[in-house]
Amino acid sequence: MNGPEILFYIPIFGGLPVTETLRNTWIVMAILILLSLWLTSGMKMQGISKKQVVVEQGVKMLYQMVEDTMGKDKLFFAPYIGTLFLFVLFSNLMGMFAMRAPTADLNTTAGLILIYFMLNQYFAIKCHGLAGRLKGFVEPIPVMLPLNIVGEFSTPISMALRLFGNIASGIVITSLIYQALTWVSNLVFGGITAFPVFAVGIPAVLSIYFDVFTDVMQAYIVTMLTMVFLAMAMD
Amino acid sequence: MDNLFLSLGYMPFISIDWTIIAQLLNTLILFLVLKKLLFGRVKQIIDARQAEVDKMYSDADAAMTEADRLKNLYADSVAGARDEAQRIVADARKTAEDQSEAILDEARTAASNMLAKAESEIASEKKKAVNEIKDEISDIAIMIAEKVVEKEITPADHEKLIADFIDRVGE
Repeated sequence: MNGPEILFYIPIFGGLPVTETLRNTWIVMAILILLSLWLTSGMKMQGISKKQVVVEQGVKMLYQMVEDTMGKDKLFFAPYIGTLFLFVLFSNLMGMFAMRAPTADLNTTAGLILIYFMLNQYFAIKCHGLAGRLKGFVEPIPVMLPLNIVGEFSTPISMALRLFGNIASGIVITSLIYQALTWVSNLVFGGITAFPVFAVGIPAVLSIYFDVFTDVMQAYIVTMLTMVFLAMAMD
Repeated sequence: MDNLFLSLGYMPFISIDWTIIAQLLNTLILFLVLKKLLFGRVKQIIDARQAEVDKMYSDADAAMTEADRLKNLYADSVAGARDEAQRIVADARKTAEDQSEAILDEARTAASNMLAKAESEIASEKKKAVNEIKDEISDIAIMIAEKVVEKEITPADHEKLIADFIDRVGE
């Protein structure tokens, strides 16, 4: 399996590789920003369009979900949570348009989780104070100290790897399915044509599960976990 | 793909490099842009509408309270006006009755006064008439007596005759 393709190098620090991942991220960002501009254009107080109904409903649902999961006092996280969900969802779905999903690169998922980790540390100390934060490591009993320290890091690492693993495995599985179907085609129609007959149509059906379902699911999961762990760290 | 595009090669399937920093910054930039363009704007509209709805409700409540107040006020006024009207009518009726009573009394008094006056007048006229007749008859009687009898009668007889005559005439 190949990693993301290198498109060009930025000639500083001995050449920084700009990969497919970055290009596709910029595409996702452009799509989301243009979509936002379109969705929020011509918004009115009354006599609203269907488009505005949908976007308002979506934003309301987001705020409702943040309120239900994190609590009313943490509603200020909603824009970040919304951004996280949309970014991960659209990134995941890039795979369906024959582009390598940015989230199939550990750099992307680790970057997202790094933001979560920093938010987590900042708000945990802000809410409990440095002393309270450190005291939290020896609770419920001091013996738990090593486990708590490991847990502090294993949670974000597992979150980053979960998202990366699911999306990257989608690529792996899709490629495996193509190879398997090509092999079956050759087995059945080997004498007639070299064209992989079974590789047409069948992968599309399978990708409903491996791409669409997993993509939406993982976007939801990473968003939900970010909310839950942030709220836990603060409460 | 390799034969279609000039490839510089591939990154490892799993690795961490500077891209993590780029992605972190990309995410933050996207967050700031979406917060301003999408969530901020939509939330602002929603909140503004919510505020408007709240205001409408409170305005409606206030209007309802005011309407209730006015309704009670009018009901009170109407009841007051009815009482006042009844009072005025009763007063007027009482005044009219008093007045009619006074007028009747006055008329009655006047009538009885007139009657008494008339009676006394009648009585005095009668007395006057009787006295006049008495004088005339006595004169005539003396004259007739002098002419017819032509004899001397004593003054005592004279007096007796006249008195008898007058008594008979007076009845």
